[in-house]
Amino acid sequence: MSKRGSRTGARVGTPPRVVSGIVKVILTVTYLVPLLWIVIEAFKSDNQSIAAPDALIFAPTLATFRTVIGTAAGSVLLSLVIAAIATVAVTVVGVPAAYALTRRTSPQWGRVIAVVLTILLILQMVPQPMTVIPLYGVLASWHLLGSVTGLVVADTALVLPFSILLLRPFALAVPKVLYEAAALDGASNAQVFIRIVIPLLRNGIATVASIVFIIVWGEFIYATNFLNEGSQLPVSALLAEQISIYSTNWNRLMALALLTSLPLLAVFLFAQRRLTAGLTLGAVR
Amino acid sequence: MSADLRTGKAGTAVGAGRPPGPAHRARIRRITAPWAYLLAAAALLALISVYPLAELVHLAFSSVGPTNLIGSWPWAGLANFRTALANPEFMQAVWVTAKLTVMLLVSDLVLGFVVASVLVSRSRSTSAVMSLMVFVWALPPLVSGSVWKFLLSSNGAVNSLLGLLGFRPLDFLASPTLALWSVGLVTCWSALPFATMVLRGGMLAVPRDLIEAAAIDGARYWKIQTRIVLPLVRPTMGVLAILAVIYSFQGFNFIYVMTEGGPGTATANVPFLAYQQAFTSFELSGGAAIALLALAFVLVLAVPYALSVRHEEHE
Repeated sequence: MSKRGSRTGARVGTPPRVVSGIVKVILTVTYLVPLLWIVIEAFKSDNQSIAAPDALIFAPTLATFRTVIGTAAGSVLLSLVIAAIATVAVTVVGVPAAYALTRRTSPQWGRVIAVVLTILLILQMVPQPMTVIPLYGVLASWHLLGSVTGLVVADTALVLPFSILLLRPFALAVPKVLYEAAALDGASNAQVFIRIVIPLLRNGIATVASIVFIIVWGEFIYATNFLNEGSQLPVSALLAEQISIYSTNWNRLMALALLTSLPLLAVFLFAQRRLTAGLTLGAVR
Repeated sequence: MSADLRTGKAGTAVGAGRPPGPAHRARIRRITAPWAYLLAAAALLALISVYPLAELVHLAFSSVGPTNLIGSWPWAGLANFRTALANPEFMQAVWVTAKLTVMLLVSDLVLGFVVASVLVSRSRSTSAVMSLMVFVWALPPLVSGSVWKFLLSSNGAVNSLLGLLGFRPLDFLASPTLALWSVGLVTCWSALPFATMVLRGGMLAVPRDLIEAAAIDGARYWKIQTRIVLPLVRPTMGVLAILAVIYSFQGFNFIYVMTEGGPGTATANVPFLAYQQAFTSFELSGGAAIALLALAFVLVLAVPYALSVRHEEHE
């Protein structure tokens, strides 16, 4: 694209500079200021925050952050465990499914693929708040209410449909000739899957795993309802709980918000290009 | 990555037509349907996605509270739906949902189009702005919701700014009218990165020749965008519009964090009302009935969406 741009002159098809500049400045301000505000507030002491919650000039302190880390370390750890298990579960189940949904080996299987895809599309569109109510009942009847296992099950259910749909275009991109060559060499389905599909899907798996991790990390509706009161909460649910308690202690709330965001920053830096590319393709729906 | 996908499609076209020669046939394994690879996902989805939805329907037609959640569910017929429809809070929640949806639609489609038009041309500042927006998109709604709750609070930064400019402070989250606008605008703010990226993807797929030809004919940028690009990205906008309606149900997150449906019930949308019924009043069946009504609405939109995605794929 950049090559073409230089050939035909950079001016063709680019927005006027002034408008473009203004829009970019507005976007930067509206998206950056809230983030900066989290950081600024997190470095204020309780007294500083109560006296002047929007002061921009103050002596920064790590005290608040230290207190919050002290109370939230267990939650961060629990969140990591939950997000890691859910991500692995979704990958292990989702990758073979995405592969199965790309191989039209017979007309009958083609029909199965069509039906399953429609079901997945619909499941993916069910808003999460609608699923809390029945899952509460289902987990209760399975005696999984109040356990981390139950929460992981619910989180997996939340992201699995969309993960398979997101993985499928990557599996579709595996050239069919490779399958035919493998069949000529007498390779079995399992060999094809392990030797050809998985290595070629590495990019897709990384994209999906990052998004699943991000979603599960931030999930709080299931966590606040499915875990028992007083038990260790994942960091997102802890933040949800503190929002009502710390309604005036903004510095602590923002420090906790910052702590919640830091692992995501790491995931984001790792996956940024893939996320951007995935969103541009419209693959992330 | 887009190149990968195109190669994939080209590969399909090249590989399709040639039957293997008879000499090879003996060595070719019969390719069976890879149903075994779908089995785990299908079983898991049936158990933890489809079955709970069936239970939602079951709950909505029964009479279930906290005491008999585990136990027998007496049949209630349409009673829960009648109660829900007769509840003035339900009609108000429908209104709130409608208003939030319209705000999100306008923001996603109009602002999304303008922002995507600006960010479609590549430059260092463009990628910086896009990184920032995608990062905000990746942040949990809890984090972005809580910082906005802080910024919009009575002694928050937005009110300080208004004060500096000589205006009175506003009750962004405490006045019924303003609270709805606040929740709506924050929802739009959080959804705009996604809308922009999707529309930008659509714009990148518009053939360059068309744009260059129009530019040579002397058309200005915004004229090209509205006369040539806009009609070509209309299918993308259609999909985005459906997604916006569905996403507006997710406005739930910001309602939960910023206003808890208040003041009063001024910002409770339908999903939030269902949630409150089920988990604050512990009327599980009442909540399920409201959720089911909302879900029926979503499904009406899900069908054209599913069809359009399937259609796209067959092309």
